[in-house]
Amino acid sequence: MVGRGVWKGYAWAAAVAAACTVAGLGMRPRFDLVNVAMVYMLGVVVVALRHDRGAAIVTATLCVAAFDYLFVPPSGTFTVDDVQYLLTFAIMVVVALVISRLVESARRQARVQAELAIEAETERIRSALLASISHDLRTPLAVVVGASSSLAEAGERLGPDERRALARSVYEQSRDVAERVAKILQMTRLEAGGLKVDRDWSAPSDIVNAALARLRERMASHRLIVDVPDDLPLIRVDAALIEQALGNLLENAAKHTPAGTVVMLKVHRQGGELQFSVEDYGGGLAPTEVEQVFEKFYRAKAEGGAGGVGLGLAICRAIVGLHGGRAWAERLSGGATAFRFVLPVDEAPRMPDEAPAAPDG
Amino acid sequence: MAEPRATLLLVEDEPEIRQFLRASLSSEGYRIVESASGRRGSIDAATHKPDLAIVDLGLPDMDGVAVIRQIRTWSPMPVIVLSARVHERGKIEAFEAGADDYVTKPFGIGELVARIRVALRHSVRVRSGEQLVVLDDACIDLERRRAHRHGVEVHLTPIEFRLVATLAKHMGLVVAHRQLLREVWGPTHEDDTHYLRIYMKQLREKLEVDPAKPRHFLTELGVGYRLEPKE
Repeated sequence: MVGRGVWKGYAWAAAVAAACTVAGLGMRPRFDLVNVAMVYMLGVVVVALRHDRGAAIVTATLCVAAFDYLFVPPSGTFTVDDVQYLLTFAIMVVVALVISRLVESARRQARVQAELAIEAETERIRSALLASISHDLRTPLAVVVGASSSLAEAGERLGPDERRALARSVYEQSRDVAERVAKILQMTRLEAGGLKVDRDWSAPSDIVNAALARLRERMASHRLIVDVPDDLPLIRVDAALIEQALGNLLENAAKHTPAGTVVMLKVHRQGGELQFSVEDYGGGLAPTEVEQVFEKFYRAKAEGGAGGVGLGLAICRAIVGLHGGRAWAERLSGGATAFRFVLPVDEAPRMPDEAPAAPDG
Repeated sequence: MAEPRATLLLVEDEPEIRQFLRASLSSEGYRIVESASGRRGSIDAATHKPDLAIVDLGLPDMDGVAVIRQIRTWSPMPVIVLSARVHERGKIEAFEAGADDYVTKPFGIGELVARIRVALRHSVRVRSGEQLVVLDDACIDLERRRAHRHGVEVHLTPIEFRLVATLAKHMGLVVAHRQLLREVWGPTHEDDTHYLRIYMKQLREKLEVDPAKPRHFLTELGVGYRLEPKE
């Protein structure tokens, strides 16, 4: 990367020196040497502005050499008759140095500013995260603290049904907290780049089945239609992560559409990609939301506390991105919405044929 | 409960988790030996000779995987691992060290008790040298190397037989990818996971009622496979 940049600079140095020489030769019959020197100077300035100091100095040197050899009397030699041209050369080199220095410091400043902007963004995300954590965890934790303290302090005075109901809500709410915390941790790890992707050949149907098994209870409120052909290619992915990405789409559909509506899970091959889709026939998405839904901490506006931390789709997109795929949402006709992601399909690994099976007996 | 009172070793450093496990597992009729550290757990395993060990992977003094390895040097007792999501790698290592099953924290007690029952039943099965695998509508005789479905013989290739046999040796429990590959295809194929995907699909097509929704040849994503017997 750096190496290529440097060579590009030198190539420009040579090209600009050559271009100035051609221009100078064209000007020579009618213009003074001073003006030819100015053309060279212009070349030096251009290279110093666009490339690094090394390239600027090389340009200056090439220009001085060309100018001296071709134009300064006696031309055709590097000898200099008039001492004042030495000054011209010196000025050319100094200009090259001064300009590249200015440009470098400007670039450094821009970089610092960009870093500051990233820091500010990180800070913004961090405070949004904190706000989200405290808001989303406070309610379930309040239930856990309240219900469990009733059980601990007044358990014997409560009837068995009440006791069971309290214990049940402690169980459900704390499981909810655990899930949210897991999502927050996952997002943090994804952002910090601390997530190891363990790729392995995996069957898409195994991934689908694992997600469906994990979310069986969660999806029970909806009419789930699964369409997974049995001739799908194997994909080289971290199956546990892709299961999570798919699971997040399913959870998202269950969370944001009314109970009893249809959720459709489809997987199919499309050229060199495998597409996973979750379509729902519930709320529908505003045109502006199509991009926003995959952003961190984005939540549907018309939501009555049903939402989670607003990270599910962002995690999905990040995981899919790590695998070289894309995730997006689409508005379908009739208020339906599709949430999809595609993963690249690599060439299937070879499988040696099993030695002709002896019919056992 | 028909099962005899089994002794469970619990290697877990968090006192709160030990407390809740002690309360719930005792109420299920198990006898509990508790070890608060990995070193203690290795010693207790040898002195108490439990029927099953439950090992937390996040122990402060020594790796839970090391505890499992230690136990495996002298005992085939079933080992169930308690893992957290962040220990995904550790979980795979634990299976390679000889763990038989796992539950992920946080878990409900029902889940753990179900795993314990399967693992204890498994060790009874191994002792009795059971050679018949009974599935929903198929039956595989490992000794005679014959498989039937609805009374009609189903042809299994030698590799398919070996695969069923390896899974059946750990009936109801998880067998890690590498272990399956090593035992069926040999040590040079430990990383050829795609073999498993292809053969498992064949087995499901031959032996499952609905190959798309397998009830017996189950995938443990990223870890291995589990052969679930007929309920």
